[in-house]
Amino acid sequence: MTLSNKKVSSILIGGKAGEGVKKAAQVIAKVLLKQSYHVFQADDYQSLIKGGHNFSTISFATEPVYNAYNSADLLISFDKRSMETHWLDFSSSKSLHYYNDNDAKPDITNPPCTLIGYPLTALMKQIYSSPSNVSMAAIALFFVWMECSEAELESTIKQEFRYGIEDNIRFAKAVYRMALADAHLISESKPGLQANQAQANWRLTSGNQAIAMGAWLAGLDFYYGYPMTPASSILHYLALKMPSHKVYAIHAESELAVANMAIGSVVAGAKTAIGSSGGGFALMQEAFSLAGMAEIPLLCILVSRPGPATGVSTYTAQEDLPFALNQGHGDFTRIVAAPDSPERAFSLAAELLSLAWEFQNPVILLSDKHLSESSINAVFPLDVPFFQQTIPQQNKPYERYAVTDEGISPLLFPGSDFVDEDTVIKWNSHEHLPSGLRTDKAEPMIGMKDKRARKGSALNEATKHYQRIAIYGNSGTPVFAYGSSVLELREAQKYCSKPFVIIALVYLLPFPSEELEQYANSQIVVLEHSVNGNLATYLLQNMSLCIKHNILRYDGRAYDPHELAALLEEVL
Amino acid sequence: MRELGTHKENTWCSGCGNFGILTAVKKAITALVEDNIKLSNIAITCGIGCHGKIFDYLALSGIYGLHGRGTATAQGLKLANPKLHVISFGGDGDSLGEGLEHTLFAAKRNMDITLILFNNGTYGLTTGQFSPLSNNGYKGLSTPLGNIERPFRAIPLLLEAGASFVARGYSAKIDHLASLIQQAVLHKGFSLIEVMQPCVSYNNTYADLNNRVKMLEITPNEITQSVKLAADPEHVYLGIFYRQLLPVYHEELYQNANPVLDSLSHQQRLELLSK
Repeated sequence: MTLSNKKVSSILIGGKAGEGVKKAAQVIAKVLLKQSYHVFQADDYQSLIKGGHNFSTISFATEPVYNAYNSADLLISFDKRSMETHWLDFSSSKSLHYYNDNDAKPDITNPPCTLIGYPLTALMKQIYSSPSNVSMAAIALFFVWMECSEAELESTIKQEFRYGIEDNIRFAKAVYRMALADAHLISESKPGLQANQAQANWRLTSGNQAIAMGAWLAGLDFYYGYPMTPASSILHYLALKMPSHKVYAIHAESELAVANMAIGSVVAGAKTAIGSSGGGFALMQEAFSLAGMAEIPLLCILVSRPGPATGVSTYTAQEDLPFALNQGHGDFTRIVAAPDSPERAFSLAAELLSLAWEFQNPVILLSDKHLSESSINAVFPLDVPFFQQTIPQQNKPYERYAVTDEGISPLLFPGSDFVDEDTVIKWNSHEHLPSGLRTDKAEPMIGMKDKRARKGSALNEATKHYQRIAIYGNSGTPVFAYGSSVLELREAQKYCSKPFVIIALVYLLPFPSEELEQYANSQIVVLEHSVNGNLATYLLQNMSLCIKHNILRYDGRAYDPHELAALLEEVL
Repeated sequence: MRELGTHKENTWCSGCGNFGILTAVKKAITALVEDNIKLSNIAITCGIGCHGKIFDYLALSGIYGLHGRGTATAQGLKLANPKLHVISFGGDGDSLGEGLEHTLFAAKRNMDITLILFNNGTYGLTTGQFSPLSNNGYKGLSTPLGNIERPFRAIPLLLEAGASFVARGYSAKIDHLASLIQQAVLHKGFSLIEVMQPCVSYNNTYADLNNRVKMLEITPNEITQSVKLAADPEHVYLGIFYRQLLPVYHEELYQNANPVLDSLSHQQRLELLSK
């Protein structure tokens, strides 16, 4: 089967943790992207460092691909476990499954698709003097399958790998030549497709990378984090960007330190973000309230995984919606928004950071593992807001919490060039007077609470300037979702015989009532990755709807597009 | 120089050791201004407890933070704008209980900030429960039969964690304390001043301290000697126990840059991203 009569082609690579499955997938995705294919790369991995079973999939097409596929046209197994696990994950009988015949001994008398084994382990023993790298085999086999040249294979490896280059190239070439000799066996499975015009602006980007770069474009100076999957890659990515992008990524001693150090940096005038998954975010609660009270602009990134507690570390979920909506104790305005694509992750991070600064309020960007850790060919929308600090008119004496009509007080920072010796800038976690000094008196307490409430109303109103919901599709039953569920629906939309319109909630809080009014009293379907139906409950709390079906998935995995399309056909 | 106090009504108990500390801080700041440090480049942080009220009594910029987190917010301030001289006030329950991790890590990083630790051996503001520095046997509302734990020793603990300037003062020896604070702020690296301070309501140690305090004659060269003197069972030594110049965190991170003052413009960011 070729791509010309099939919309999307998929590759699956499986092996042990530590064998470079994800790296091979990344390299392959980059090669496809260079050839102007749209790609979607997803990584399924366990919370362990060596052994176990990891696999990555790369789906690609000449049109946008929004989600990963469970069945593949090209499968590459580094070991027996992968061979057995993915034995039936072929997309058709013409699919091709390469395996390591030093390890796996499949039933080749009755194969479900084309099977070809190569002695990868023996070959590596022969070639490598340095530590071996079986992931080279995946890249080489992909190059044969895609009919790319040996020279391109060599230059790709040189570009993408830093260590053991010579042995890697020798091994990759040996596998390449072996597979090329069998090219007649695989002709039917080859994708054989002409790609589009080159798209210069594309970059292979994960949701987390997009969040990081969007916030950075909006002025991010500091990111504080403590490792917790699936938020860690924001910390890692920004740490790499530190020298070139003048952004400082700090791994602190705990999430409590993360949130409080971040608040310190904001007090000194730095645009700052923090991030974690549910467990770590829970530890930041008190500081989140401090940000509400002290009017600290802070971008807080919550990347969900299955919970509660430690839950399932490396898989996806959307069960933190009520948690995100109710962050922190006490009365103050919360903003929660969830990107529905990596591009939106970029623009939303910038938008939210700017809103935080304009209104001196903490904001939450809610993502999930599937959106944050999957990669696509993204084009960053660069026309995002940038909050430019203006120097307040000095009505002496300066008051950090000066009461204004809109509730927004002028900002100044100690140590800035605009602060004179007489200016005192006091931020406070206690209820306070306009000067920032603590108070427990009734009247100023009411004044300050009213000020923050006015500011909160203005902030809620300001979100209307942004795209708070996104609609995909023209007609049919509305299907409501947020986060990576929107990606699942968009890919399933390609295959579902019954039409449906995807209503993606980008802003969850404030609830986008105005935009959703057109769906009042409609019969809808809701898709979410939780057992309790949190999104459905939240929708019903805010508007009148008839929920025909609430699709709930809570096994940590994303839907395969065909599987979801079939499910939607049943419930629509 | 302008007034360093505020109009805020002081609510410490009459006779509280905090008054001595407040006076010493003001004296130290005045001396620092004479050393050409600008008031606009000084920032203060604190946690929650009786010590924290000093924030309201000082006309200096900063943040009155959360219980235990004053050292964390102080580090964030310093990292964002290294031009700032950051002084963090902490109580014994605050800095060595709720926020112990931040105190140890600030020392470990040799973060260039000063921690003034108000050691009154009790939780004053929450009505006298035992603190991490309370003596064994201390009786409070939560330990009516006596504290069954033994106290931390702040100076050995912080020395082990990596503090590069460690001193001890006494709230009743104001000029000495002021001089310690001044030197601590000028020290490049993490500086700790443990201030022995009676709590007149719950742990009145005036008589005991007056009997036992003794000035250190010299700053020991050997850290083992510092630890020995700090933990001396008989005398409460006052003075500088340890002083060493070591690399500081912000310079290891970004050398002479200033993240806030050198923050890239929107245009610079756009250009870098379009590359």
